[in-house]
Amino acid sequence: MSERIGFYICHCGINIAYRVRVKEVAEYVATLPNVTVARDYLFMCSDPGQELIEKDIREHKLTRVVVASCSPRMHEKTFRGACQRAGLNPYRAFHMVCVREHVSWVTEDGDEATKKAKLLVGAGIMRVVHQSELTPATFPVCTNTLVVGGGIAGMQASLDIAKAGFKVYLVERQPTVGGHMLQYDKTFPTLDCAACIGTPKMVSVGQESNIELLSYSEVEDVSGFIGNFKVKVRQKSRYVEDNCTGCSECEKACPVEFPNEWDVGTKMRKAVYRPFPQAVPITYCIDKYDRAPCVQTCPAGTNVQGYIALVKLGRYQEAVKLIMERIPLPGTLGRICPAPCEKECRRAEVDSALAIRDLKRFAADQVDLSELPLPEIEDRPEKIAIIGSGPAGLSVAYYLRLKGYKVTIFEALDKLGGMLRVGIPDYRLPIDVLDREIDYLLKHGIEVRTGVRFGPGLSLADLREDGYSAVFLGIGAHDSIWMHIPGEDKTEGVIDAVGFLRVVNLGSRDLPGNRVIVIGGGNVAIDAARVVKRLGAEKVTVVYRRSEREMPAYPEEIEGAKEEGIEFSYLTAPASIQSQDGKVTGLECIRTELGRPDASGRQRPVPVEGSEFVIPCDAVIPAIGQKIDVTWIEEKSELELTSRNTFRVNPHTLQTNISDVFAAGDAVTGPATVIEAVAAGHKAVAAIHRFINGEDLDQYVEEQAAKEPPGSDWQEISKDVENAPRVVSEHLDPIQRVNSFDEVDRSFSEEAAKNEAARCVDCGGCCECKLCVSACEAKAINHGMEDKVKEIEVGSIIVATGFDPLDPTPMEQYGYGKYSNVFTNLEFERLSNATGPTSGKLLKRDPTDPLKFTDPPKRVAIIHCIGSRDQKYHEYCSRTCCMYALKYAHLLKDKCGHDTEVYNFYIDMRCFGKGYEEFYKRVQMEGVRMIRGKPSRVEEKDGTLIVKAEDTLSARIVEVPVDMVILCTAMEARPDANEVSRIFGITTGHDGFFQEEHPKLEPVSTPTSGVFLAGACQGPKDIPDTVAQAKGAAAEALALSASGRVEVPPIISWIDPDVCIGCQACIGLCAYSAIEFNELKGISQVNEAVCKGCGSCAGHCPSGAAKIRHFTDKQVFAEIDGLLAKAS
Amino acid sequence: MSEFEPTIVAFFCNWCTYTAADLAGTSRLSYPPNIKIIRVMCSGMVDPKYVVKAFLNGADGVLIGGCWPGDCHYINGNLKARRRVALVTEILKQFGIGEDRFWLRWIAASEGNMLQEIAKDMIEKLRELGPSPMKGRMVA
Repeated sequence: MSERIGFYICHCGINIAYRVRVKEVAEYVATLPNVTVARDYLFMCSDPGQELIEKDIREHKLTRVVVASCSPRMHEKTFRGACQRAGLNPYRAFHMVCVREHVSWVTEDGDEATKKAKLLVGAGIMRVVHQSELTPATFPVCTNTLVVGGGIAGMQASLDIAKAGFKVYLVERQPTVGGHMLQYDKTFPTLDCAACIGTPKMVSVGQESNIELLSYSEVEDVSGFIGNFKVKVRQKSRYVEDNCTGCSECEKACPVEFPNEWDVGTKMRKAVYRPFPQAVPITYCIDKYDRAPCVQTCPAGTNVQGYIALVKLGRYQEAVKLIMERIPLPGTLGRICPAPCEKECRRAEVDSALAIRDLKRFAADQVDLSELPLPEIEDRPEKIAIIGSGPAGLSVAYYLRLKGYKVTIFEALDKLGGMLRVGIPDYRLPIDVLDREIDYLLKHGIEVRTGVRFGPGLSLADLREDGYSAVFLGIGAHDSIWMHIPGEDKTEGVIDAVGFLRVVNLGSRDLPGNRVIVIGGGNVAIDAARVVKRLGAEKVTVVYRRSEREMPAYPEEIEGAKEEGIEFSYLTAPASIQSQDGKVTGLECIRTELGRPDASGRQRPVPVEGSEFVIPCDAVIPAIGQKIDVTWIEEKSELELTSRNTFRVNPHTLQTNISDVFAAGDAVTGPATVIEAVAAGHKAVAAIHRFINGEDLDQYVEEQAAKEPPGSDWQEISKDVENAPRVVSEHLDPIQRVNSFDEVDRSFSEEAAKNEAARCVDCGGCCECKLCVSACEAKAINHGMEDKVKEIEVGSIIVATGFDPLDPTPMEQYGYGKYSNVFTNLEFERLSNATGPTSGKLLKRDPTDPLKFTDPPKRVAIIHCIGSRDQKYHEYCSRTCCMYALKYAHLLKDKCGHDTEVYNFYIDMRCFGKGYEEFYKRVQMEGVRMIRGKPSRVEEKDGTLIVKAEDTLSARIVEVPVDMVILCTAMEARPDANEVSRIFGITTGHDGFFQEEHPKLEPVSTPTSGVFLAGACQGPKDIPDTVAQAKGAAAEALALSASGRVEVPPIISWIDPDVCIGCQACIGLCAYSAIEFNELKGISQVNEAVCKGCGSCAGHCPSGAAKIRHFTDKQVFAEIDGLLAKAS
Repeated sequence: MSEFEPTIVAFFCNWCTYTAADLAGTSRLSYPPNIKIIRVMCSGMVDPKYVVKAFLNGADGVLIGGCWPGDCHYINGNLKARRRVALVTEILKQFGIGEDRFWLRWIAASEGNMLQEIAKDMIEKLRELGPSPMKGRMVA
């Protein structure tokens, strides 16, 4: 059958006809092949226009129809309908050519426009004959609706839909619904209170059974299509369960404070909070970020931020308990920990890091451990042997005991403590501190057997025989490493540092010599030097082969040694020990210089030839390192050792090659810090616990290895944090020091400690001190809560994500952030609101304290259009500012007295709504002064703000002195509008707001069918307009749910089975996984329900098998042919 | 002889660039009539043979307009277009059609003014380059 084409060109009033000579185009088309009728008409989209097409189809037996008019995005559907009504398949029969948007409106010359129209139309005529019959698929519609955003738009839409009997999921990012409207005080022009009309909506949303409120949640992903969306909603953990009664006891207990976002920082809130008392849901919420860097850095994972917060409150006992969750010896570590946490402290970004270690010590010193109650321990039958009572052994013993195990410590010496006792001198760690802490640990029921050395007197077999289920080896590294230089052996006066410190720490006060040389640069060397000095040596010299910069000892120790008169000889290496009659007389040294870096990254000392010299002395203490005593193990045990003669263990479980033997501490790592030994202790405890319970340790290893590194999303440091120097503890006078073993560091006063603790910037938000847990009667607080991802199915989505007020800080001329009495509109709303910082009083801010408000202003300037109608910020008008500015003027007169001078600086007054103009009149009658002109500057002079502007009506420059300035800031799109638009498949306009499908006729629809817009996310609007649009969006969603079925355009892909070669390239290209490979037939096949019709497969298919319906090669080629035909 | 007027075939994605062209019209942002738009659902569906076909049929330039990366209505069709365009450009060069004649541009739905600018720029460029070398070699 030959084709019979009908062609229709629209005048569109004059919109097309004023440029395109439509009659000429119709006459031209009439000459083209297959064209049966060609007509022009004033309005093709009108009823008579469509009628014309339908009549022609019937009378002229048309097979195809081409309409040239506006964009097909506007009326393609209209004309397809006409074709369908006249009995043609619309996809086969109809093609639309755009001659308005793409021709008449953009072409200045009539001849050119007509010529272009003819070409486009010609191409359309050529294309249409290749179109084939397609039938849209229909799908059932899920009648649930997702509403995103719980402001007034979202609440209204949800309530309307719920009222009609359909289910709504309302997702709100904040912990409460309400949105901006609930932050306001009164609403213009009626002055009814926002809370009075807003809170009932909130309550209804909370109570309506058809609404499932997902507060503190965000939409993560949307898939599917109109009527059949699948949505993933992340429900962020509130850390407070739903049984919260909202009693606010947790809030009272919480030590951490932040500026309250709800009050735009005019008020503080706690880390556990609800934005405002009328919040819906009433459930509290705890603000957590990633764990603070100090917590992450501590090898033992101590909750540093937590105990610092408790010290701030003076809750020392709780602080010590919190420390002891991870560190069994708080006073000890509070003295000798290298405090890696302090290096990561973010307070250093403001001034200097917190004195974390000193605060730990301070807290520990305030608590009498003997008064600390003991926890109830549920005993277990298993026995565990701990060999060695250093920090590793004590940690493992204590934490295993807390788990209920029967623990026995075996110690070679007479007293417990290992290196803590025999390695660290008393002036750094007083022995009574250590004794008290060890006593407290033992009180938990740990058995102790001293004087038993592992090896000769106690073998693994003995322990197993005695019924121990596991053995932990924490034997430390108590042997010195020797230098292997001539004269070292068997010379009187050469004493190894570890041995020397051991005897002194155990009570000996024998002076090894008067002129003593200590060799080495580590803490042991400095300890030995300072101890010798205290024993009364006249001259103590530390000899070190590198420079001070490379010294591994703590800087404060080196400093302390220098203060005490200890000399340092850097770049000096020992060569031999000189002696007379078997007694040391001097140390021959050689100068060194620093060469290439070695494996440790430090520069290697290189001896300088011929630079030998002798330092006379009568004792030499080499302190160049320690090792573990392995003589017995090498001979008698099957324990595997590393090349460094330490125990070989699995790094995650600390299990040795013998399955029931675990090891940690210096015996595994070589000489290291106490905190590392404690950290390793925790690892060993976890592994031993699993081992005894028969759990798979390999799986545990995998889990540990797969653990993600901690994040660095920390609480932003407030701009208001003022510089405060780090508190420094008092030190004993150097002259006094060298005469005794009294502790050098004297700690600090309680006031100083609290001030220091208050410097913490609370990186992690909540500090997890758990005071809230004990305060909560309902037992609703759950710090272990995790985010949940809820998957829901909905048929339609309403996006009502609102706006943000512009931040006027960059506009320096208005002094916001610089002058304390320049407010933004939202801050002023909070001042005026009864739940705000001043309980509704309009007061000036105290210049010295941003959180304090003093007395009412007498003169106020309100500046309109801050960031609106301003090419540097937003070209658009924010539509609400004129009216709320008038409202503020009225409120100021009302609350601060009628003699208050109020100046409105405006560009144009836009009072367009119902009752708006009348309100403007009323406010003018109240004596508010209106000055037409946007101020150029706000300056402060003698405590008064001066607003400078041009009064454009009287053409003069005015300078108005005021007490308060209110900036009416623009409404702008949310900063994440682009990301949100991608999730929902919608677009943003050049103003950043979401783009509606059509500015007039589709104000709530978007390019993605089934996704609708409501409220200020689509553009600035006031409450009445927002509510109206929300109701519109609700109507769209309801229409979809009520009809129950939806038609999906049939423009989808299709793979020709006869052509497909099964290369599967299309499968990788398909973003929707809509193509599957049919193994049986060896070809790829499109799942039509999933395909969206993007055509990526068709554009790529190497064999040309993949095609997209309605955009086939023939159709597109015909269109190209038409466009490039010789113009007539 | 009158000034050379290039012809451009433009493949515009339905969601961004075609809408931008509609917006240019609604905003009455005029540009020369040389540019002829073919509506496609996504820039990612533009088959290389459409481009070749347009040049063979005598187009002086081909313009593909898509959504900005990340904004594709079909997740990432525009990125596939970008890859394909890079490849086709290489092939076209071997046939003497330089990359100045084959443009891929991201134009969002709200960027009517950008569409106008790009249309003007491309026509300007093609006027400089003169007629496509394919024109003389067309097989009837």
